[in-house]
Amino acid sequence: MTKYFTFLSLLIVVLFLGQPTVLAADAETESESPIDIMGTVADHDYFTFFGTKLYLPRLFLWQDDNGSTQFSTYGSTKKALASGEFQQVDYIITPVNGSMLIDFSLTSHLLYFWFGLGALALFTMYAGSRYKKGIGASTAPQGALQNLFEIFYEFIRDEVAKPNIEGDKYKKYVPYLFTMFMSIAFMNSFGLLPWAATATADITVTAVLALFTFFVTQFSGTKDHWQHVFWFPGVPLGVKFLMIPVELIGLLTKPFALAIRLFANMMSGKIMIIAILGLIFIFNDMYGSAAAYSVSILSVAMTSILYVLKLFVALLQAYIFTLLSAVFIGMAAEEHEHDHEHDDHIHAEPSV
Amino acid sequence: MLYLLAGGGLLSFNTGFAIWIAISLVVFLLIMMKYAMPPIMAALEGRETRIRESLEAAEVALAKAEAISKDNEKALREAEQTAHQIRKDAKEEAERIRGERVAKAKDEAEQIIEQAKVDIEQEKQSALLALRQEVAHLAITSASMILDVELDEEKNKKLVDNYINNLSKN
Repeated sequence: MTKYFTFLSLLIVVLFLGQPTVLAADAETESESPIDIMGTVADHDYFTFFGTKLYLPRLFLWQDDNGSTQFSTYGSTKKALASGEFQQVDYIITPVNGSMLIDFSLTSHLLYFWFGLGALALFTMYAGSRYKKGIGASTAPQGALQNLFEIFYEFIRDEVAKPNIEGDKYKKYVPYLFTMFMSIAFMNSFGLLPWAATATADITVTAVLALFTFFVTQFSGTKDHWQHVFWFPGVPLGVKFLMIPVELIGLLTKPFALAIRLFANMMSGKIMIIAILGLIFIFNDMYGSAAAYSVSILSVAMTSILYVLKLFVALLQAYIFTLLSAVFIGMAAEEHEHDHEHDDHIHAEPSV
Repeated sequence: MLYLLAGGGLLSFNTGFAIWIAISLVVFLLIMMKYAMPPIMAALEGRETRIRESLEAAEVALAKAEAISKDNEKALREAEQTAHQIRKDAKEEAERIRGERVAKAKDEAEQIIEQAKVDIEQEKQSALLALRQEVAHLAITSASMILDVELDEEKNKKLVDNYINNLSKN
């Protein structure tokens, strides 16, 4: 137990000890505004560690002018630029001679994504080692961490998976849903640290997460699911053809909504806090320090309230993402038994 | 605004980053689903099954115990009833025996008294007889001494007897 606890606390200490540099105007960016909202929420090529910026390696898959594909790795953006093969135009790194295919560079969001997965891995390994020892398996669970693990696990299993996925099928999806919930919750919570980046406030991350749910949903789709998509039962022939694009769009809007919902919620909370705290610096620039001091009272109070709200939203959004994933999987994995049910369904639908 | 245009912008999809995320997530999900979660799920499910079974067994045992205790109570009540009956019977028996004894004793006493009365009557009769003979004898003796006549004893006796008989009737 102590081993895992040490790991976990070490990770948290590392994350907490970083200096909050986000709010201060960054000299390097030479921005005119005293606060840098976009710079705070955007992805970066560095990771703030104990107040210093650790520049992350850049990996480029690019095509030179001769048409041959090349893969180059550099320790940091500066080294990439110093090599002379790459240039920076409006924050975009492009090859001097050729075009960029895929930019595989490590970013701060990717690191925080890994931290989220890593925290969950430690948490799960700790719990697993306890159950292997028999604590919690043959006796009652002991300690706050194991109980916390059980609360989350049983919540996902009994409140999310079981009611939404029919029959015994739900057992198959519990690990997926648990992993999704916990990693999103960890990423969201790490995003609450002022100097940290929120991986889930990145449309790429949420899009990939939603795509995973999309693929899991489609792969668990029953014959009925696909019949509903391509040959809607209980409607005239012409309507069947009309329903195909509608249903296909319906399939795609679900993960799209998942991705946008999580992204927008996490992003908006971060932007709101920075904007409200930024008022202090803006007032300082515009009306002097007295105004800044007085507005700081309001700003700090509102930030505190917003932080409580964000902590709630961090867990709520992880829950919503997981719950909707379970609902979508449950809908696809559902097996209808009678055809006349569809008729009832169709007749009932216009009145809804 | 620059960031919106840049590769790391707010709303732009970064392909290389997405591939990283996808690969990490696939590997992580596989590890979780294959190795990390199943033992935990099995342990928890086993525990739940065991607890459910224990609860059910406890319920059955409780029902059994309740039935037994109900039986015991019934037996106890029956035993109490029997004891009560026995006591009642014994009381009645004792009452009856006592009554019998008293009646018998009364009878005996009456008998004894009756016997005594008879005895007394007999004694009285014999005493009276003896007294009468004595009186007759005395009268005869005294009369013969006084009169000194030649009356034979037979005639005298008859005379005196008649007299005494008349006397006693009065």
